[in-house]
Amino acid sequence: MAKRSDIHSVLIIGAGPIIIGQACEFDYSGTQACKALREEGYRVVLVNSNPATIMTDPEFADRTYIEPITPECVEKIILRELEEMRRIGANGKLVLLPTLGGQTALNTAMSLCRSGVLEKHGIEMIGANARAIERGEDRQVFKDLMLEIGLDVPISGTAHTVEEARQIAERIGKLPLIIRPAFTLGGTGGGIAYNREEFEEISKRGLELSPVSEILVEESLLGWKEFEMEVMRDRNDNCVIICSIENFDPMGVHTGDSITVAPIQTLTDKEFQLMRDASFAVIRAVGVETGGSNIQFAVNPDNGRMVIIEMNPRVSRSSALASKATGFPIAKIAAKLAVGYLLDEIRNDITRETPASFEPTIDYVVTKIPRFAFEKFPQADPTLNTQMKSVGEAMAIGRTFKESLQKALRSLEIGRYGLGGDGKPWRIGEKVIGDRDIFPRDLIIQKLSVPNAERIFYIRHALRAGFDIEQIFGLTKIDRWFLVQIKELVDFEECLAASRE
Amino acid sequence: MNAELLAKAKSLGFSDRQIANLTGRTEDQVRAERKSLGLVPSYRLVDTCAAEFEAYTPYYYSTYDRGDDEVRPSDRKKVMILGGGPNRIGQGIEFDYCCVHAAFALKEDGFETLMVNSNPETVSTDYDTSDKLYFEPLTLEDVLHIYEREKCWGAIAQFGGQTPLNLALSLQKNGVNIIGTSPQSIEVAEDRKLFAAMLRKLDIPQPPNGIATNEAEALAAAHELGYPVLVRPSFVLGGRAMQIVYSDTELHHYMRFAVEASPERPVLVDKFLEDATEVDVDCIADVGQFEDQSEGTMVIGGMLEHVEFAGVHSGDAAMVLPPHTLSQEVIGTIRQYTHAMARELKVIGLMNVQYAVKGTTVYVLEVNPRASRTVPFVSKAIGVPLAKMAAKVMAGKSLKELGFTSEIWTKYWTVKESVFPFNRFHGQDILLSPEMRSTGEVMGLDADLGIAYAKSQMAAGAAPPLSGTVFISVSDAHKDDLPEVARLYADLGFELIATNGTAAILEKAGMKVRRVSKLSEGRPNAVDLLKNKEIQLVINTPAGQAPRADEVKIRTTAVYTGTPIMTTMSGARAMALGISALRKSGYSVKTLQEYH
Repeated sequence: MAKRSDIHSVLIIGAGPIIIGQACEFDYSGTQACKALREEGYRVVLVNSNPATIMTDPEFADRTYIEPITPECVEKIILRELEEMRRIGANGKLVLLPTLGGQTALNTAMSLCRSGVLEKHGIEMIGANARAIERGEDRQVFKDLMLEIGLDVPISGTAHTVEEARQIAERIGKLPLIIRPAFTLGGTGGGIAYNREEFEEISKRGLELSPVSEILVEESLLGWKEFEMEVMRDRNDNCVIICSIENFDPMGVHTGDSITVAPIQTLTDKEFQLMRDASFAVIRAVGVETGGSNIQFAVNPDNGRMVIIEMNPRVSRSSALASKATGFPIAKIAAKLAVGYLLDEIRNDITRETPASFEPTIDYVVTKIPRFAFEKFPQADPTLNTQMKSVGEAMAIGRTFKESLQKALRSLEIGRYGLGGDGKPWRIGEKVIGDRDIFPRDLIIQKLSVPNAERIFYIRHALRAGFDIEQIFGLTKIDRWFLVQIKELVDFEECLAASRE
Repeated sequence: MNAELLAKAKSLGFSDRQIANLTGRTEDQVRAERKSLGLVPSYRLVDTCAAEFEAYTPYYYSTYDRGDDEVRPSDRKKVMILGGGPNRIGQGIEFDYCCVHAAFALKEDGFETLMVNSNPETVSTDYDTSDKLYFEPLTLEDVLHIYEREKCWGAIAQFGGQTPLNLALSLQKNGVNIIGTSPQSIEVAEDRKLFAAMLRKLDIPQPPNGIATNEAEALAAAHELGYPVLVRPSFVLGGRAMQIVYSDTELHHYMRFAVEASPERPVLVDKFLEDATEVDVDCIADVGQFEDQSEGTMVIGGMLEHVEFAGVHSGDAAMVLPPHTLSQEVIGTIRQYTHAMARELKVIGLMNVQYAVKGTTVYVLEVNPRASRTVPFVSKAIGVPLAKMAAKVMAGKSLKELGFTSEIWTKYWTVKESVFPFNRFHGQDILLSPEMRSTGEVMGLDADLGIAYAKSQMAAGAAPPLSGTVFISVSDAHKDDLPEVARLYADLGFELIATNGTAAILEKAGMKVRRVSKLSEGRPNAVDLLKNKEIQLVINTPAGQAPRADEVKIRTTAVYTGTPIMTTMSGARAMALGISALRKSGYSVKTLQEYH
């Protein structure tokens, strides 16, 4: 199969302004897509309201609209472009690629689809069709589909009123419960309810914030291990795993706020293969015909039960990370798949020898750490939960987890030059604690048990205060393998300190 | 130091800073010792195939794991571009945009470009943006190794925001050729005393200011200047930053709880210019290339007039290009000052100046001889890639050679609006302040100013309502402007809602108002109406430094219910202008290619 010749112009919707949960990764993916599609000779029409992006530089698209990304405005653009295409006598159609501009693009495209605008003007969506998007995005439909293909999911129910939410809570039987509003970005309005009062409050907020007044009430998987797979599929049903990612922070912390590591470090090969097979089953069942998807898993550390949490039928924040972690340009390949190429027909730019159907292998460890800005919002709660709060991230590459972790920590630019020992004192409220001082036990316990931006450093403080791995695991549920790695760093810090002449 | 111990430390990822501190040395000593032992990182390729096949795209990371170094030698002239590191509020995509442009520009001019950055979300860390990509932390240690390993000709530090700028001086001390405006000039702009001296020399006014190392001095300074004053630490700790202070009580509080003042870390006290109009100017210059600075060229890329009055961080303010209310005289003064400072600072590359205009007096607030947050916006607005040109200027081309010698004054309007993450931080008040809190920006473009503003609001997710009800509640300071602003909405056919105090003023001015209870007086109140979607727009200006709880509640409810809210009178005026334009003619769309 070769690229489609019935297409003349491709309309790409960007992600709009940078907000928490939707940052410049979509400039990266959109820019790649623009380049890839123009390389193939298509006329690229772009809409994005964010002038600070590279993709809106006039040379990256044939037609660049710096206009609001609203269904109304995009319809105006479609009409104008159809007219322009008639004027220039274009032979071929205008299609819409909605999977590269984050949730904003996907929501806008879906809105145009539901209101019949796309059908009326004969605009086909490429990359992912409306049905697949709906299956991936509607949590209940997605869960039912997973159960149908024999995969496990957290017990849950969908509610449209607080009363319905209460009934589901009753059925699941125990708190804490997770509340996720439908169709909101980065989990806006969601949360974890530990008691009935919180449950009512978060449910209400979630219903208000969901554009379709819908929330998912879900069994808590707090403390479970969390993993992600980046998958791509082509029209011939070839599937590849681009990258596997493990969340250092267990379930309960939004993956955008978690420290993440690639490739997965703590699964056996057998477990990994199960997850790989499940990923392919998911992308097929949802029906993403071409392009990339991100699939999230949780594994119960006590018994190994694996459940599917969600999938994004589009290029996501994790795709950008996976691209940088492996060197495999997911957005570029996704754009080429969308116009008809097959994975084995696309050459890997890096090796120039292997096709894109070769799964990347990596011989190093990648660590990503989120960067927060709580000092700007002193009235807000700095606890990390299922609603993303970080404003950026740093990534580092090393030959071991230890090397990449320390590099990532000093990449964060928060005045730290590694896990510890750099001499910078710690400021806790009005108190100042020296870098090599022993922290009070109650503070350590509090900072380990409630997820927060500094938790990684408190693992060091705990080890130095004499906590053992089991105690720290009990408080954090962070996999013991990671804790052992950190202990090696802390032990070596003591070796260095002891060598002081 | 024990060589084996040192090697082990490096392989575990310990930085020189950590090792130095733990073993009682300086960072420089550790680096020197390592180098004498030949203990430097090797660079490996990210190649998708674990070295199974040959890799053609040079994407590197460093490691102290023993093994091959895979850097491909080349004898081309190399320029290193220092990226911005992780995104944070105040340093985001705008700087990545500039770095990417630097890479494109220098590639065009035949240099080999090396990008150093640690942010995976960016275009700058795409492997085909630069000739070589180093995915590395932006610290002195890591950057210096790459520079030395690659034997670069120069490094660009003025594009990646504060991160590379903070490294510039120490890199230079270690032999790095920082191209463009010299780090010394950057220091003049950043050092308060040197900067004041420069302004005196050029006869350019600056708001009256003082310095305080303790509470008594701060009070004395404030009394001399007169309230309100803008206070900020010269050395920022954990985000406790700028504040506008109106009274002794507030200043006491600030000095006791917000900062730790000391002789080494004084607090800066500036006279705050109330109701002044702020203007941001981005310009490009090559004057530093010439012995005789008058031979150089300096071009203003764009003047951006803030919609909100002084006191709102320039990263948070809405802005209009070209200025929409300034007189020709004021614009002329701004132009003259900008030129004078660019020459004095021998700028090679970009410079951003922030001005405050009060009456016909133009004050300089700040000068940054580097790429600013507004460079991409201005570049798109005028159709000239400023960052790209600046990179070429820094590498030796003159603006004359590049054919950019005169200012562009657009015939259409571009409006920049900021986007905030308040919906993520429940309970956080949303007022704009000198502390930047926006995460992103949008642009509205149109031949009509009102439509351009309306588009910027739509793009920011607060589409102007075309009809309905406006809830108005303003502070005493704004009561004089109240009737005029309210009338704009009444004339557009909006129903006005207010609580008793405000309602009385509006009625007195002859407008019809629906009264609503204060939050403490009973229900239904404004919060109820917001939740019921009975209010389409909120105009609420703050009642001073310590906002009343019910005000905060109204503002956060507006955010929460997605109701557009204007917290400044000038914002409310602009919104009325936008609504009026939309109602008159609707809006149309047009491509950037057609504008330029």
